[in-house]
Order: sequence, then C-alpha cells, then structure tokens
Amino acid sequence: MSLDISFIGILIGSIMASSVPLILAASGELITERSGVLNLGVEGMMIIGAISGFALMVITDNLFIAIVGSMLSGVIISLIFGFLTQSLLTNHVATGLALTIFGIGLSAMLGKNFVGIPGKEFPILFSSLRESIPFFGPILFGHSIVLYFAFALPFLTNYFLKKTKLGLIVRAVGDSPVSASNQGINVIVVRYCCILYGGAMCGLSGAYLSLIYTPQWIENMTAGRGWIALALVVFATWSPIKVLIGALIFGGITILQLHMQAIGFRIPVQFLSALPYLMTIIVLVVISRDSRKIKLNTPTSLGRIFYKEK
Amino acid sequence: MATDLRISNISKIYPGCIANDNVSLQFKSGKIYALLGENGAGKSTLVKILSGVISPDNGEVFLNEKNLKLSSPLDAKKNKIGMVFQHFNLFETLSVFENLSIDATEDNKSLRVRINEIFKKYNFSIDLDIPVLNLSAGQKQKVEIIRCLLRSPKVLIMDEPTSVLTEQETEELFISLKKFCDEGILIIYITHKLKEVLSLCDEVAVMRKGKVVSVSQTQNEKVETLANKMVGQKLAKIKKKINISKNKDEIFKVKHLNFYSDDPFETNLVNLNFSVKKGECLGIAGISGNGQNELFQILSGEIITPNTSIIFRNKEIAKLNPKQRREYLMAFSPEDRISQAAVPELKIYENVALNNFKASNFFEKGLVNERKIKDHSKKILSDFSVNTDNVELKSQFLSGGNLQKLILGRELITAPELLICYNPTWGLDVGAINYIHETLIKINDQEKSTILISTDTEELLKLSDRIAVIYKGKLSKIMSSEEVTPEKLGVLMGGGSID
Repeated sequence: MSLDISFIGILIGSIMASSVPLILAASGELITERSGVLNLGVEGMMIIGAISGFALMVITDNLFIAIVGSMLSGVIISLIFGFLTQSLLTNHVATGLALTIFGIGLSAMLGKNFVGIPGKEFPILFSSLRESIPFFGPILFGHSIVLYFAFALPFLTNYFLKKTKLGLIVRAVGDSPVSASNQGINVIVVRYCCILYGGAMCGLSGAYLSLIYTPQWIENMTAGRGWIALALVVFATWSPIKVLIGALIFGGITILQLHMQAIGFRIPVQFLSALPYLMTIIVLVVISRDSRKIKLNTPTSLGRIFYKEK
Repeated sequence: MATDLRISNISKIYPGCIANDNVSLQFKSGKIYALLGENGAGKSTLVKILSGVISPDNGEVFLNEKNLKLSSPLDAKKNKIGMVFQHFNLFETLSVFENLSIDATEDNKSLRVRINEIFKKYNFSIDLDIPVLNLSAGQKQKVEIIRCLLRSPKVLIMDEPTSVLTEQETEELFISLKKFCDEGILIIYITHKLKEVLSLCDEVAVMRKGKVVSVSQTQNEKVETLANKMVGQKLAKIKKKINISKNKDEIFKVKHLNFYSDDPFETNLVNLNFSVKKGECLGIAGISGNGQNELFQILSGEIITPNTSIIFRNKEIAKLNPKQRREYLMAFSPEDRISQAAVPELKIYENVALNNFKASNFFEKGLVNERKIKDHSKKILSDFSVNTDNVELKSQFLSGGNLQKLILGRELITAPELLICYNPTWGLDVGAINYIHETLIKINDQEKSTILISTDTEELLKLSDRIAVIYKGKLSKIMSSEEVTPEKLGVLMGGGSID
C-alpha cells in the first residue's frame, strides 16, 4: 500500500463519510439540549431510524420515502419521550435510557425479516468530478446528498442559535424556563419542537447507516454511535462547530486505526480500538478550556423538569 | 391618559393555605402605591395574578373599567401591565440586548435606537452586548425595567425591588420611579421595608394572611403604626449596646486571605486581614456577590486557600476542614438554609445529627444512637422555641424562621466560642427576625464572639460592634459601629470612598 496523494484523498473522503452519523445525531441532540432537555435516547432513536429507513426502502423500493420515513420514525419515537418528560413530567435521564433500551429491542424485532437482504445503491453526486480531480476529487465530490447536508448542518445550527429569533428563544428556554414562561414564551411547545427535531436528526442519522454507509440491516448496527454523539455534545460544550471537529476526529482516528491494524503496527489492538474515544475527549477538552465560554454555552436548566405555576 | 386599575374580590387558595382572601383594591395613575406585608402575606400571589403568571380562583381585574382576562403573561403584556420580579426574570447567559429583544416585535436596529432613547431619557448606561451574568444586581434590575418600558406600560409593578440594591442604587431607583409616575405610569410597589413606603409612596395598603387589613395615606403613617398593622401585634424594639473595649483578647485573627477562581460566577478575594475580639460582633456588609460566599466558605473551611493564616484561640486552623474547626468550637450558619445548612428531605433529628462531635456520642461503633440524638434535638427545639416538638418531622415542612432557629440551635447548643453566620434573617418575617437578633445579641453578652456577614445594613447596624464593608473581594477598613451611618455603608458598598 502506497501512501500517495490520491490515497490520502480517498482516506479523507472515507473519514468524512464515517463521521456523518455522529454529526447528524449530535447536531440534533445539541438543539434538544440547548432547550434544556436531556434526551439520552439518541441511540434508540438512531436504531429505529435505521430499521425503518431500511424496511421502507425494501417495501417501497423508493429511497426518498425511506429517508423521509426514517426521519418521521425518529419524530414519532421522540414524541413518546416528549410526552413523558414534558407533559407527564418524568425524569429526563430515566426516560431517555428507557427510550434507548426500547428502541434497540423494537428494532431487533422489526428487523428480523430484513436480515440478509441486500441494500440498494444510493445515488452519489458529482461522481465524474470525483475521478477527474486528483486529491480534492474524492474529498469534495462523489458523496450522497445526506453527507453534504450533514456538513452544512453544524454551520446552519450555529447560525440558527446565534442569529435568529427562534434560536434566541431556544437558548432563553434552556437558560431559564421560568423566566421564559413569565415572558409569555410557551416553554412546553418550544421544548417539544426541539425534542422532535432531535428525533428527526437521529432518525436520519440511523438511515444514513442502513441505507448509505453500510447498505443493509444488521441487528444493533448503530453500535454505540448514539452514545458517542451524546458525549460529543457535552465535550464540545454545546457548540455546533466543535461538534463537527469532534466528529471528524473521532471518525478520522477510527478509520486510521483500522488501517494501522491492517498494516500491522506493533501496538496492541485494544489500545488502537480505544484510541478514537481517548483522542476525541482529549482534543475537545483542550479546545474547550475557556470556563467563561462554557458557562455561557451550557444550557443552565439542562435535564431539569419544568412545570408551570397555575 | 389617566389609568385606573381595580382589583375586585380576588381569591386564590392553595392546599392548606389561603394566599388571597377576597382582596379588593383600587389604584389610579399619578400616584405610587405601596403594597406592604410580611412574607407569606399574599403580596406576591396578588402581583403574580396581576401579571398573568397564575390565575385567581375568584375575582376580577379591571383596567379603565375594562374587564381583563389575565390567563397568561402575554395577556398582561398586551394590556400594558409591566412587572419587575423580585427574583429577576432574566436569561443570565444571554447578552443584555438579547434579553431585551426576545419579545420585541421590531427589528434589531430600531430596537437599539429605542433602547438608547430610554438610556438618555432616564440617565441609564449599560453595555448592551455583555452577558447579563456580568451585571451587578442594580444593573440587572435596570434591564428588567427597560424591558417593561420598551412596551410603554400603563402599570408598572415592582416586587421587592430594593432587596438586592445598595443605598445609592435604591435612591437612583426611587428617582426613576418618581419620573415614571410623573409621566402617568401607575406604579405599584411591593415591599416589607417600612421606611421605603414612607419615603417613596403616596398610598399604602397593608396585607396580612391574605387579606387587606388597611388602606391609608402614607403621610398619616409612621414606621411604628405600619409595623403594628403589618405584624398584627406590638413589637419590642431591639438595639444592642455597642461594646468596644480595647484590652480584650483577640480570639480570631485572619491574615493574608487571598482567593483566586477561574469561575466567572465566583469573586476573587484580595488580601483580607481582620480579627475578632472576645464577646464582639464583627459585621461584614456588602451587596451580595461581592465575595461573601467565598469568604464564608473559607472561614468555615469548605475552601482551603494557600498562604492564609487563620488563628483561632491561639491555634493555626487555616488548613483544617469544617468538622475539625467545629471541634475547636467554631460554629457556622450558612446563607442557604435549605441546601447548605440543612437537608430538607431529612427529619429534624437527622439534621441535628449531621453536626456531630466526638464528645456528643451520636454514633457508637458505627451505629446510630437514635435516642441520644432525639433527646438532644428535643432540647434544641424547646430551647430555641421552634414551633414544633416533633423531631420526626421532615425539615422541609418547617417555615424559614423555624428552620433558621433549628439551625442556630444546633450550632449554639455546643456553646461555641465563635459563630459565623451569613444572612441569618434572609427572607424571614419580622417576628422571626426579632428572635434571631435577640439570640445573636445574647451570644455576645455571654462573652462569645460572632462574625455577621449580611447584606442587610439595618441588621448590621443593630447587631455589630465593628463593621467592615466587602466590595469586589476587597475589605474596607474596619469601623466602630458608632461612627458608621447607613449612608457611609452605602457609599462603601457601592465601591465609593468616604475619606
């Protein structure tokens, strides 16, 4: 294997592809958490998105329906979480954990008949440019539309939170739901919307896995990516751009250590496998040292139950 | 145009408590009205109803003879009723401008223009682009007021606005309020501070136990008459005899106390030096957030700072933890009764057992000696006239005053040589405050010492022998209580100089 320049280009392209599920799920969860809701059900919502996307693809043979359907399934399952935590005032942590366990179980049951069915090829954009431009071709072109969306998402999220009125309202609710309510903002509605949006993004993230990244259904195929996404949000101190950086580092080292294992580096495999987790945490902790900024970005009311005085 | 606000037969009942009992009041613009009452008298409930935060079980509100349906804060906003809450309703992590723009309908540019107009008109000046958590309490309040003014209100309700302000800030607030009043805004001023009612307001309604007990012109009232109406009984006056004798031993001495923190919510302390004599009360004044929390935690041993020397009864204790300090006969009463001084979910006797000593034998061979603790607790309850004798009661069901008595009792029953307390009467009503004050004076009479960190100037002047002011983590020179006036304290608390 030669480390020529086109190989590095392909390597970077594959790193980008592997970080897409993390970017999508973490960006969605970031909005949810910014409104003060801690949804630990990311993994569960992702896996439900993965199976419903794949099943819809097999049944309808239409990738568009499959993608939209996966997002809708994420919305529906997050609606359960929203109803429990916002309307019935259950504990965020316990409900989120239950959601993950429920999602994994349900997806395994639903997916029984879909194991072993081959996936369908997902259309990629600018495939001719990919081949014709050395190095930059495989990086910039020849990806699915979902990947382009995922890489735009952190910037859109940042713009939404910082520059728009709605983003301001989301941040205000996360900072102090009581004050927001006293200012006439409907806290419950805002939080429901953020929860459902988070669900949609997690659903999409799952569908990316089962339709695009590894087009097939395997039980438990999210393999803990939901938890990584959750951790990314916290270690990135609720900043969308840092989520992107964290996801790329994680994806990058995951891919690199696989190559290192293949080449046969004399480093214990266990250590190499642990490397992505370690490096991501170290890098994000180092770039998020400013305690002042952390205070300003952290949703003060995160995970706390809000109920309106009557 | 004149504004006329009428409240008619408002009732609000919570389980086990009648918050508002058939309250009827009338307000007209051009005057400042005071709503006076102790904690729990129902003032806050009434203003929450007026601002649409809660809805009444019964009764109606009329603005210029129009019946208002106030079922949400939005309704109050639409009807031009503005409200400045006691606990600020601001978003700490958002910038001042973001806080103001959140419910504005215009674009940011014209909003900035309007805010600057208000700044000019009322002589305000606040940086619009810094986060609210960097503002002082007075500035935060101004942000709240500006938020109301942006909606050109007809009615402005202020809920205990001066509890966090310095004397100067209070004066500035009063000037602004009088200006608003002249411009035709109807002002309702909620407070339990009698002097403010007399100096600011034209009419005063007194509430007690959910009912309006009197409405009168303030010019016909005095502090004593209002206090009696508010409490419903005659109150004894308390004033300590200041005792400063130069030749008493110093029992407690702090040198080179420095504290540095990265946390933007904490205040750094810069080279504090002070000492306390036997039988003396040293008062430390200041507006909250100027380092009192940090100072209390360092004195109690929750935070250990390097290179600080704390001598107590001729021993160096700067490296000892709170428990070890207690063994040397120090006692502590933190500001936050619910989360720092006591565990609300625990029963009274369990809370008493938290403060255990080698000598008290609450625990034997790792087991809890329940009988001993209960007997000890009963003694505290009766010695400190806590309003219950049931030691099995969960502490959260005690009122603030009774909980404070329990905490002080727990700390004092071991006969400590030095008691350090922080805002011991915060949020209590007049009766409980009187009891706590008497207790603190009694401690000094028994030749024991106290350090009283408080944000209540009146309390400090009443109880302290010497007073220093803490401002932005620095301590002023220590003055004898006789030479201190509220005005001087106010200047120092606001960062000024009196020399």
